[in-house]
Amino acid sequence: MDDRAYILANLHLHAVLPRLEELVKLDGEAQSIAKEMKLKVRFKVRKGPSRVVEISDGAVRTSGDPQAKAGLGLFFASCDQLNNLFMEKRAIPVPYKGLTQLRQMSRFSRLTEILTRYLKPAEADLEDPAFKKKHVEMALMAGLAGAAEIARYDRKMEHVVDQLPWGTLQFSVLPDGPYAFASVDKEKTIFVGNGRIADPTANLDIHGVDMAAAVLAGTVDTFAALGREDIRATGHLSLVDEFNALLDRVGYFLA
Amino acid sequence: MSLNTFEKSKEMFLRATEVIPTGISGNKNPAFAIPGAFPYFAERGEGCRYWDVDGNEYIDFLCGFGPVVLGFGYQKVDDAYDAQRRLGSAFNHPTPRTVELAEKMVELIPCADWAAFGRNGSDVTTYAIQAAREKTQRRKIIVARGAYHGSHAWCTPGHGGLIEEDKRHILAFNWNDATELEDLVVKHRGDVAGVMLTPHHHPAFGEQILPEPSFWSDVRRICDEHGIVLVCDDIRDGFRLHMKGSGEYFGFVPDMMCFCKAIANGYSVSAIVGKEEIKAAASKVFFTGTYYTAAADLAAAIATLDELQEVDAIDHMMKMGKLLCEGLVKRGETHGLQVKVSGPPTIPFLSFANERDFRRNQLFSKECARRGVLFHPHHNWFLMYAHQEADIQQALDVADEAFGVVKKEFGS
Repeated sequence: MDDRAYILANLHLHAVLPRLEELVKLDGEAQSIAKEMKLKVRFKVRKGPSRVVEISDGAVRTSGDPQAKAGLGLFFASCDQLNNLFMEKRAIPVPYKGLTQLRQMSRFSRLTEILTRYLKPAEADLEDPAFKKKHVEMALMAGLAGAAEIARYDRKMEHVVDQLPWGTLQFSVLPDGPYAFASVDKEKTIFVGNGRIADPTANLDIHGVDMAAAVLAGTVDTFAALGREDIRATGHLSLVDEFNALLDRVGYFLA
Repeated sequence: MSLNTFEKSKEMFLRATEVIPTGISGNKNPAFAIPGAFPYFAERGEGCRYWDVDGNEYIDFLCGFGPVVLGFGYQKVDDAYDAQRRLGSAFNHPTPRTVELAEKMVELIPCADWAAFGRNGSDVTTYAIQAAREKTQRRKIIVARGAYHGSHAWCTPGHGGLIEEDKRHILAFNWNDATELEDLVVKHRGDVAGVMLTPHHHPAFGEQILPEPSFWSDVRRICDEHGIVLVCDDIRDGFRLHMKGSGEYFGFVPDMMCFCKAIANGYSVSAIVGKEEIKAAASKVFFTGTYYTAAADLAAAIATLDELQEVDAIDHMMKMGKLLCEGLVKRGETHGLQVKVSGPPTIPFLSFANERDFRRNQLFSKECARRGVLFHPHHNWFLMYAHQEADIQQALDVADEAFGVVKKEFGS
């Protein structure tokens, strides 16, 4: 199996797709669509990852639990086929159960179109500060969740994972968010979440949404930004440094 | 007392970021210390003190990250450098200084039957692993997890610009765990060319660790049993623990040793020495650089080593280091803070008990820098010969104030 395709499929299912959870909270149109939906669909790749997306009562929940039940199943013959779908290339999965729910997939497709707009924004969209802040929130979570997948599957990052200390890294965009965190356990497994956590092992504070957007886009000299105090890192800096290497790698795959 | 500010450092940094990636590269980037509350750019040095571009004066316990071992502007070393500089430094050929320094190293270091010179530590650590691979015709190099051996692709702690293959044959074990080392060697039996270790473990972002009583004898035995070349990276410890190299201090004899930092009191020289049986293999490695034979720097190295011996500088640094370390622990106690100083007295590092995230360290170092004493929060410190008792006492008084700030902020 092509490592790159496999890693990318995991990023798409476990880092990008879960951002629908934030999308329906942050975007009005997405919220309206979700309120009209009741869907539980599993995306499943042959010899690859799978994830269940559940939409009900206007909320989205996703799960990587392989035992989670779903009414509709979409089967992808390969990681490339799934990746093509996410990269807006032609890819038609095979529905393997719950065909009656298929008609809801057109609404689902609209949700993913809106999500793409936030995760791969056009320059014009980023001129709207409110849009930009939502973009940062979703892109930050996609990056953190993606770092967990990179740590798990990317052989090039083995030496980084080896050096990654355990602890919790708090990401804050100042002055008023968004906030997200990533926790590394002693087995080097990474868990991520929204919001603020008490007593983090390290903090990465980014001053302003503009700087955060630039950091997430990979267009900032971060060491220069740290010296200028546009970004502030405190606590266990080794956790910040190693984690950022994983984040950079997410950017490489999802660019 | 007015506290130091760093406005000119910050201005210079802004200029730097316009024309230099990261502004200041590597471990001297502000991100590694305390951005906004630490000097970024130095102006001049004298004795154990230096001044930054804002005119702030510091008692220096980082010593340029190690090289300043006698003191800034040390007359005998600078005179030797200047004398050679006037004669010329970069020729088509080496000068006699190269041979003289090699003879000096062979005379000093027990495992040294030969010597060669580079400019920076990475030059010689990379040469060492190439010589080990040539000698054994094997691929793997074993290092301690978290150890620093330079900035070349095989050993850099950085992440950019690397390919997977750069570190494919670099294996790591936990310092002091000879069993883990032996397991690695057995697992890769017949494929391990070299083991490269620092004399004691001095990772960034961590307490320093001294070798267990049997560690080095176990490492030596494992290497001997498996035909592995044992390389001691003595770049940080060298000439601060023992004039014969740190193997002598900890009681082991490696096959090759790497030196840099203290060897030339701030001038640019690194050295590798080795046993006779490695010499032929070392001779097959193409080892050169435009400035590897720069004679003025080599002259400074000779003068530095002579002077370190002449004044018994290590003995003095040990005494000053003990005074500093014991004083820091006592001053911490008076504030109800549990302070630990790890590592040898000439290469100490302070940490606070039960703290993994360095927040107290960061505040302590920041407050000391604002008061004119340079202690790094994440990297081991260094003593130099120029430190005198009055400097140590002044540093302890500043530390006392900084501990007070830490106590106020964190409570314990």
